[in-house]
Formats: sequence, structure tokens, C-alpha cells
Amino acid sequence: MQPVVQFENVNKYYGALPAVDGLNLAIEPGQFVTLLGPSGCGKSTTLRMLGGFEQPSSGEIYLEGKAISHLPPNRRNVNIVFQDYALFPHLNVGRNIAFGLELKGLSSDAIHKRTMELLALVKLEDFAGRMPDQLSGGQRQRVALMRALAPDPNVLLLDEPLSALDAKLRQQMQIELKTIQRTTGKTFIFVTHDQEEALTMSDVIVVMNKGRIEQMGDPNELYSRPRSRFVANFIGQSNFLEGKALSVDGTVATIDWNGTAIRADVNGTQPAKDSPTTVALRPEALYCLAEQPQDRFALKGRIVQRVFKGAHTALTVDLENGAQLHLQLDPVALSHIGTDEIWVGWRERDAVVLAD
Amino acid sequence: MVDTTTIRTRTAEPLRVPRYAGWIGKTVGSGLYRHTIGRLADSRPVRLALLAGVPLFWIAALHIGPIFQMGRISFMADYPPSPDGGSAYTLANYKLFFSDQLYFVPFLRSLVFAAVVTLSTLVVVYPVAYYVAKIVQPKNRVRALLLLLIPFWAGELIRTFSVIMLLANRGAVNVALRELGFIDRPIPMLYTSFSLSFGVIYLLALYMLLPLYSAIEKIPTQLVHAAADLGASPFQRFRRVILPLSKDGIVSGCSLVYLTSVGVFAAPLLLGGPNTVIFPEVIATLFHSSNDKWPEGAAFSMLLLAVSLTTVGLFMRVIGGRSVRLM
Amino acid sequence: MRPYFADLPKTALGAAYWLFAVYLLLPLALMTAMSFKDASFIAFPITDWTLNWYAQVLQDKQFIEASLYSIGIALATTAAATVIGVWIALLVTTEGIWGKAIIFALACLPAVVPGLINAISMRIFIRTVDIPTGTTAIILSHSVHAVPFVVIMVLTRLRSMPANLVDAARDLGADPFVAFLRVTIPYLMPALLGGMIFCVLTSIDDFVRTFFLGGYKPTLPMLIFAKVQGGMSPEINAMATIVLIVTAAVGLYAERLTRRSRN
Repeated sequence: MQPVVQFENVNKYYGALPAVDGLNLAIEPGQFVTLLGPSGCGKSTTLRMLGGFEQPSSGEIYLEGKAISHLPPNRRNVNIVFQDYALFPHLNVGRNIAFGLELKGLSSDAIHKRTMELLALVKLEDFAGRMPDQLSGGQRQRVALMRALAPDPNVLLLDEPLSALDAKLRQQMQIELKTIQRTTGKTFIFVTHDQEEALTMSDVIVVMNKGRIEQMGDPNELYSRPRSRFVANFIGQSNFLEGKALSVDGTVATIDWNGTAIRADVNGTQPAKDSPTTVALRPEALYCLAEQPQDRFALKGRIVQRVFKGAHTALTVDLENGAQLHLQLDPVALSHIGTDEIWVGWRERDAVVLAD
Repeated sequence: MVDTTTIRTRTAEPLRVPRYAGWIGKTVGSGLYRHTIGRLADSRPVRLALLAGVPLFWIAALHIGPIFQMGRISFMADYPPSPDGGSAYTLANYKLFFSDQLYFVPFLRSLVFAAVVTLSTLVVVYPVAYYVAKIVQPKNRVRALLLLLIPFWAGELIRTFSVIMLLANRGAVNVALRELGFIDRPIPMLYTSFSLSFGVIYLLALYMLLPLYSAIEKIPTQLVHAAADLGASPFQRFRRVILPLSKDGIVSGCSLVYLTSVGVFAAPLLLGGPNTVIFPEVIATLFHSSNDKWPEGAAFSMLLLAVSLTTVGLFMRVIGGRSVRLM
Repeated sequence: MRPYFADLPKTALGAAYWLFAVYLLLPLALMTAMSFKDASFIAFPITDWTLNWYAQVLQDKQFIEASLYSIGIALATTAAATVIGVWIALLVTTEGIWGKAIIFALACLPAVVPGLINAISMRIFIRTVDIPTGTTAIILSHSVHAVPFVVIMVLTRLRSMPANLVDAARDLGADPFVAFLRVTIPYLMPALLGGMIFCVLTSIDDFVRTFFLGGYKPTLPMLIFAKVQGGMSPEINAMATIVLIVTAAVGLYAERLTRRSRN
């Protein structure tokens, strides 16, 4: 399938500083794609280049196969939902949504019909005549979304649109956004620094750091198979086990970690023998037993700290080999542990070798 | 229980899309628009040129041009230049100013007059501005200010004329004093330096009021309370807290009043007399007399402009106001 | 602690305020009162009252012509100053232009040059470029005077405008011109209306520029000036009172508009 959006070797410099550095990215149509990263990682610049508000310093951007770098924003069939909505304060809700339609040369009857359809989609038909400052934050959000969808763009861009909402409303809007994306079948490109938001809504997450793509994949893959230390740390939390590769057998590597031989998924890498190797391990992927198990791998350790977090409890465990691990245990698993002397283990597919 | 449907229908406001809405897009989408304005709009250099051209031309031609031309003429021996080509540049026009008391005295009088007017206005208006900004309840502030703004909109001439009503020999003050038996014959107040100052302060008080008001209003009241809490007397609180914090307003207000009163023109014509001739009148005669002396007039204007701007500049430097707001 | 003197400063300041208000309003009140005097000369006390002066003024051809002339000049001035003022304000807020501070300072220059010198330099200038004294010259000089105020009012409003409103319009298919007309101008509207009324009033008020640049046809202030310098009769008071009421009403309305635009 032809990608709907494609970045080809796109660079963007502010002075000598690279904001986006050699970006290559292809986005399939109809997907909910999230650009995720800390502030300053280049995700917003990427979005603004696609919208036409920034010009790439070099490289080319294609929209449905056509190069669009030289086109001004008004000649691109993409629309943005801005961070603070940018609703026109002098126009009512209906005229805000109709703004893009009016510029398309539709008749006023057609404009009216389409606007009312869009309002119905977010159940705001009764608010057509209201001014933006008479709306709640969530309602403004919906109006901004419909205004951007009104001209029927190929791709809808969303620039951290939920950041101004409170936590409850944000969760509700996440689901609503996803639903609207499904019903309209449009490609959504969503920018956020909130990993939970990204995991909830996306078909594909693109993790960016320092102007480059760190990793791209579906949420599940990113979470369970992080490729780099950055991704493993930015999405959820991880234990990093630093050791030396001993051998590689198919997809499983054996690593010398503080004198203990552990096994981990190579995760697409090819660690050379004796090279320093890092393994990432999620705190909630660890199991914890009172006795040494006969059938599974486990290491002896001692609980040095327990922090109650509600749904789970965070444990810090000092192992006999001198290393320290962080665990998250649910109440049921925790209830089996009587003493501080415990055995900790993991399944070998939950431990992944990192590329850096 | 509240009937939600009625509430919905009551708050529902129908969408009205005006007829012209469709035409916006048709115009913008038409070939004619796209190949003319649309093409211009797409190019950043063209947009910049359009944006900068007219304003820069206007500023160069009409803001700088006249002052420049006035400066040029002030160095000319004759204007218009005499036909035999003798348009020599000279300093004679400036020398004339320093050599003749007829010009020198009104000039000094103008500067002193403007300084006195500025200072008096400041003293008169400061308490009023303070009262409106800090003591009047916030909800009444706008009304208290508007009451004082009404005369501001009456215009220079009408206000000057109304001062005559007050100060003339058969004006309100003299008639009232006579009715009360204080005087037998009217005190001549009109056409003196008193009537002129009175009138000019009357004209310019509001240029002082507005900057002072906005500066004082911005002073947090807690600061004054804090000073009182630390044992400052009312005078100390004024001297050490309020006055320094209203500095910006004082600088703007004084600059505006000074610059305006240096060039005040209509008021001396109506309220002044033979002993109050100030510099603007002198300059004006050079432009309106039958054998006009434009180079001299231009030179004198340049002097007045230079001295008044320098004075204000020095004043701002000394007091150290950060920003001068014109409104 | 200071029970007897605690309120003294407040009372004194209140008294200062009211004295000042009387100082500002009394002359105008006297002027208005005199317009009802049934005698052909201006002098207190007023014993007989009449409305005749108003009837006379409203039939006075000179007055009506001068008023219309002044209004015409004011409208032309306002149109020119508003267009140029907005244009300069837009230039000064554009990204990536060199020397914006200088452009802004020069745009404000006429506001700090004393009025008389403004008038004289313009008089010299129009002779240089061969514009005769008269309507065009008056309109030019009034516009130059009004431009700085429009620039400042528009800039204040523009600075409060969210940057991405124009971006949003562009995103929805508007080219820069359409975005300007459909988003920027409506956003500026309250400040523009206030500024326009301000232009009208300062133009109608202006005496010194018209004095140097006017032709034979008198504007309203020139007419009043001539009448004051000639003999004085309560007719002038009636004339001035009419002008006062109209301009004060318009001025108060403008004040409300600008105040609303700031909130």
C-alpha cells in the first residue's frame, strides 16, 4: 500500500541546531499514529513541517505520493487541531466549523448541512450558535476537532490537543478521539509527550529523541520489545542488566551478569562474544517466590524496600550476586511472600537485549 | 425534577450560515483570483514587499520628510532660493536668534513657562490620580475617571473659550467677587500670564492624569500595607514606596505635558497678552507675515524642537523611567 | 492608634478629586449656561433666558458648512490613518524583519514633536512637493498626527492575539490575505473602532495644523476662533455647546469601546 505520508531524509535546523535530523518515516493510511517523545525531541517540528508552517532545511515530504514541501499550508490537504484549539473568538461554533468549508466554494446550504453533520458527530448540535468562550474545555476540544475534519483532509494532525484538559476528561477524550478516528477512517497523526496517552490510542507509535526516530511499532511491541535504553525508560520503567555476552543461540543470548549466567531475547540485535551488553527487564515481568523453584530460573535476594502504590507494591531487592532489581507485585502475588528472603526470576522472552 | 428537554431547546441556538459564505470560496477558488492575488499571496518576498512598501514610504515621506526639509531650509539664505543661483547655505538664521532679544526672550519664556506648567500640572493632578486609582472602589473607578474625561473630548478651542467665561472682567469669578462685596472693580485676569497658565493647565491636565493613573493603579496595595507594617509613616510610605513606583507615569505624563505646552498655539492667541508672547507666536509670525521669512522660522522651529526633545530626553535619563507610553 | 487622623489623607484626597472635577467642569458649565442668555453680549450675571441662539446657530449657513467640512476632513483623515496605522502595526509585528524598533520609533515620531512644529514642517513640506494649502494638506497633516495613536492601539491589541489563530485560518485553506481579512481584522475590530473615533475627534478638534495648512474655507475650529476674536455674543456659546455635547458623547462611546477591547 502506498504510504499516505512519507518523510524522506528530512532535516530541519534552527541555526546550527538540528530540530529534526535525517527523518525517514512512512505512514500507512487509516492509522492512528502517535509521535511520542520528550519536549524538544522534534515531534512538534515534524508536525508543523507536515502542516506547512515550517519548511524542511533539506529532504522532501510526500503526501499521497506528491512532494509538498514547497506548498503553503492553505494548499495542503492536511488539517491541524492546535494545542490550545485556536478557535476563532469572533465566530460562533458553527461558523468556526464552517470556516474551512466556506473556503472550498460550497453553497451555503451545503455548508450548513455538513456543519450540522459534524456537530451531530460530537453531539453539539444545540451549541451551533454559541461563541467559543461560552464552551467548556472539552466542548472546545470537540469543536476544534470537527473544524479540522470539516474540509475532509487526507490526514488530521493533532498537536498535544489534550494537554489542557484535566485527567478525567482527558481519558474520556482519548476514547472519543479513537472512536472518531475509527468511524471516519482517516489517518490521525497525534503528537504527545504522554506515554500513557500514546499507548491507549495508537495503532503505531513513533518514539522520537533528539530529532531522530528511536523506534517505531505498535504499542505492544514497543512496550515489550524496546530497542534502546531511551525507549525502555521513556515508555514505562525498566531494570537495566549490564553484562557481557557469552554466546548466542538462535534468538536467545546468554549473558554474564555479575557472575550469573542469564538468558535473554536477542531482540533483533547480534551481540558479539565478550561485548558489553545491556538487557532490559520490566519490573512487572519479574516473579517473586518464597522458596527456590525447581522448574524455573530464579536468583536469591532480599527485599530492602517496599513502597505501597495502591494497585501494586514496588519492591527493591538486593540479589546475592550484588545487583539490585526493582519489582512491581500485585497484592495476590505479594500475599505469598512471608519473609524478606526471596527468590526472583523472569521468563527469558521478557528479558530483551538492547541495541545500545 | 428538572425537565432536561426544555432546557435543551431553550439554550439551543440554531446555526445561520449567511448567503455570502458560499461566495468567499467561489471568489478565492476562481481562476481570476488564483492567478492574481492568490499568486502574490503565495510568495513570501512579494508579501514582505507589500507589507513593507507603503508603511516605509509613508514614514519616510511624511514623518521624516517634513522635519528633514525644515532642517534644510533653516540653513538657506533665501527660500525659495533666489533665481540667480545664490542658494548658499548659511548659519545666519541661527545667529539671528542669539543676536536679537526679540527672539531670545520669548524662547526662554516658552521654556520656563512649559516647565512651570508641567510642574504645576503634576502637583495638581497627582493627588487626583492617586485618589481615583487607589481609594475609589474598583467598581466606581471607571466612572470617576470618565467624569474627568468629559472635558477632554470638548476640544482645545472650546475649552480655551470656556476659560474666558471664568476669567473675563465680566466673567464668573469677577462678578461673584463683586456680588459678595470683596471688590469694587474687576481684577484683570484675562490676557495675563496667570490666565495663560490657568488655561494651559486646564488644557493639558488630562495628559498628566491618564499616565499617572495607570502607573499608580499598577502599584500593588500590599506593598503600601507592607511598608506601613514595617513602621513607615504615611509620608515615608509616599516618599519611599508610592512615588518611586509611579515613576513611569510621572515621566510619561511630564514628557507629554512639556512637549505639548512648548508648542501650545491657540491658547496664547486667546488668553495671552502683549507681555506673555511666547515662542510659538514668534515663529508663527515669521510664516504668516506678508514678506515671509521661512528660513528664519525654520531655524527657530529646529531650535525649539531640539531643545524641547533634549530637555525631555535629559529628564527621562535623570529620572530613569523605563518606558514612556504615549497613551 | 491614630483614630482622629486615620481618615484625614483619604478625606483630603477626596476633596482634591472633587475640586479638580469642579475645575474641569465649571468653565464648560458656565459656557453652556451663557448660551441661554437673552442678551447680545457675553457677561455675567444671566438674568433672562432664551433658546434663540440655538435656533440661530442651527440656521447659520457658515456653521453648517464648516461642520460638514470638518466632518469630511475627519472621515478622510480617519480612513487614511487607520489604513496606514494598521499597515505599520502589521509590519512591526512581522517575524524576521530587520530594524523593527527603529520603524516603530519613527512611526511614533509625530506624537512627540510639538504640534506647532508638526504644522510648520508640514507647511514647508507641501510647498516642496507642490501641494497647495487646503483640504489635501489638512488631511495629510491630520493623518500624520493620528497614525501613531492608531499604531499603538492596534499593536496593543495585536500583541494579545494568539499567534496560532492566523495559522489555524491558513491551515483551513485561507491564503494570507483571506486570513488577514477574516481573522485578523475582526480580532482588531474593537481597537480599530476606538482608534477611528479617536482619529475623528482629534481631527475635528485640531486648530494649529489647520491654521497653517488651511485654505480659505474654514473648518469648525477656525470658524469658532474667528468668532471669538471678532465680537463675542452668546451665539458662540451655543455653537460651542452643540459641538461639546456631540464630541463628548462620541468620545465617551469610544472610551467604552476601547475599554471593552482591553478586557
